[in-house]
Amino acid sequence: MNNKIDTLLFVACQQCDALYDKPQLKQGQLAKCTRCGSMLIERKVDSIERSFNWSLAGLMLMLPAILLPIMGVTLAGQYHQASLFDCILVLIDRGFFMIACFVFLFAIAVPIVRLAGAFYISYCFKFNKLKPSLLNFFRAYHHLDNWTMLNVFMLGIVVSMYKLIDDTELSVNLGLLAFIFWLICSTMSAVALDQDCIWEKLEKAFAKDEAQDENS
Amino acid sequence: MKTAKQLGLALCPKCRKLNSLVTEPVQCSRCHGLFYQRKRNSLQYTLAWNFAALLAFIPANFYPIMIVYQLGIGSEATILSGIGEFIDHGLYPIAVIIFTASIIVPLLKIIGLFVLVYKVHTGIRLKPDKHSKFYHALEFLGPWSMLDVFVVALMVTVVELGFVTSVAAGPAINYFTITVIFTMFAANSFDPRLLWDKKTATQTSLLSDNSPDHISGILPEEKGYK
Repeated sequence: MNNKIDTLLFVACQQCDALYDKPQLKQGQLAKCTRCGSMLIERKVDSIERSFNWSLAGLMLMLPAILLPIMGVTLAGQYHQASLFDCILVLIDRGFFMIACFVFLFAIAVPIVRLAGAFYISYCFKFNKLKPSLLNFFRAYHHLDNWTMLNVFMLGIVVSMYKLIDDTELSVNLGLLAFIFWLICSTMSAVALDQDCIWEKLEKAFAKDEAQDENS
Repeated sequence: MKTAKQLGLALCPKCRKLNSLVTEPVQCSRCHGLFYQRKRNSLQYTLAWNFAALLAFIPANFYPIMIVYQLGIGSEATILSGIGEFIDHGLYPIAVIIFTASIIVPLLKIIGLFVLVYKVHTGIRLKPDKHSKFYHALEFLGPWSMLDVFVVALMVTVVELGFVTSVAAGPAINYFTITVIFTMFAANSFDPRLLWDKKTATQTSLLSDNSPDHISGILPEEKGYK
């Protein structure tokens, strides 16, 4: 029992395992590890509200960003344009299943799942509908932390535009604008989500249930 | 400075909650996930993924990555020859970006992780503060190597004008994707806390070696080894 109280009063650095007393932070402050300089705890400003709005905007931009053509090429009187979704269809058509699969995962599936996840979590917190299933849900959300590559895809678009601009007439379409906004929304919704705060609230909400379970 | 390990505590990697360590897969009291105090067999996993990535990196550089068909005649380009073309056209910034993303970053990641694993294993000239920063840089750079794959995917899709010009992807693209994904797995399976563990372990052992009753017995032997 003694140990259990201890663990609430301390935090450990994720990167070097140094142990600290838990700092009491105000909104907008963050605590850093003195040994390796990585972030210990951060209290973000208006976390729930912000990530709710960003992820809602992201979900609305999702369809135009994926389905609208990003850019088009004119060469010798022929015009051809492509969207993010066409990209995957063409790759499957040409038999590059693995590449199609990975592009789909990193540039479409993972960002959508993360946006929807952030939306669901902030929705539940905003309207106070906490459920025990959120524990598993938020843990699963962290599995996808490293695998969003919209920013890399954006750089890929820029590079391939540079490649094409020499030999062909390049035209930029509405899809590019939608894609840029989608990228911004998905990044901001992930940045705005305050993990520590959410975990603490979830713990408070469900700690009682566990105590009752142990008693019964 | 005390670490959580010394006090018998373990940090949940997902929800960052401290748990007291009772049995080895600990079940987190907050998120109910199972985890270990340190990533299990971290060095072996890192080495294995690293070797796999290095192997896949060889065909990725020798096979053509992109084939451009103009009026039915195909010309193949590998990663390096593609960069050479950019330099010929005078597009230096793009050449630098592609070269960094598709050659320097994967190589740096593979070599860097080998060095880190070696240093953790032997503890020679280990500077945990610098090395953990280096590790974070490697982890951050990982996804950016996918750049070339995305560029080829876009080119294949956009430039499809039938007989006049079309672009096809070459076999190298598969190997290159595998390389990038494997290096990401390798970086994920490395545990930077091992750097600090090793450092404290060597420091304490050095301190005990220097204590007066040890010095007379050990020093000549050490000289002999060197």
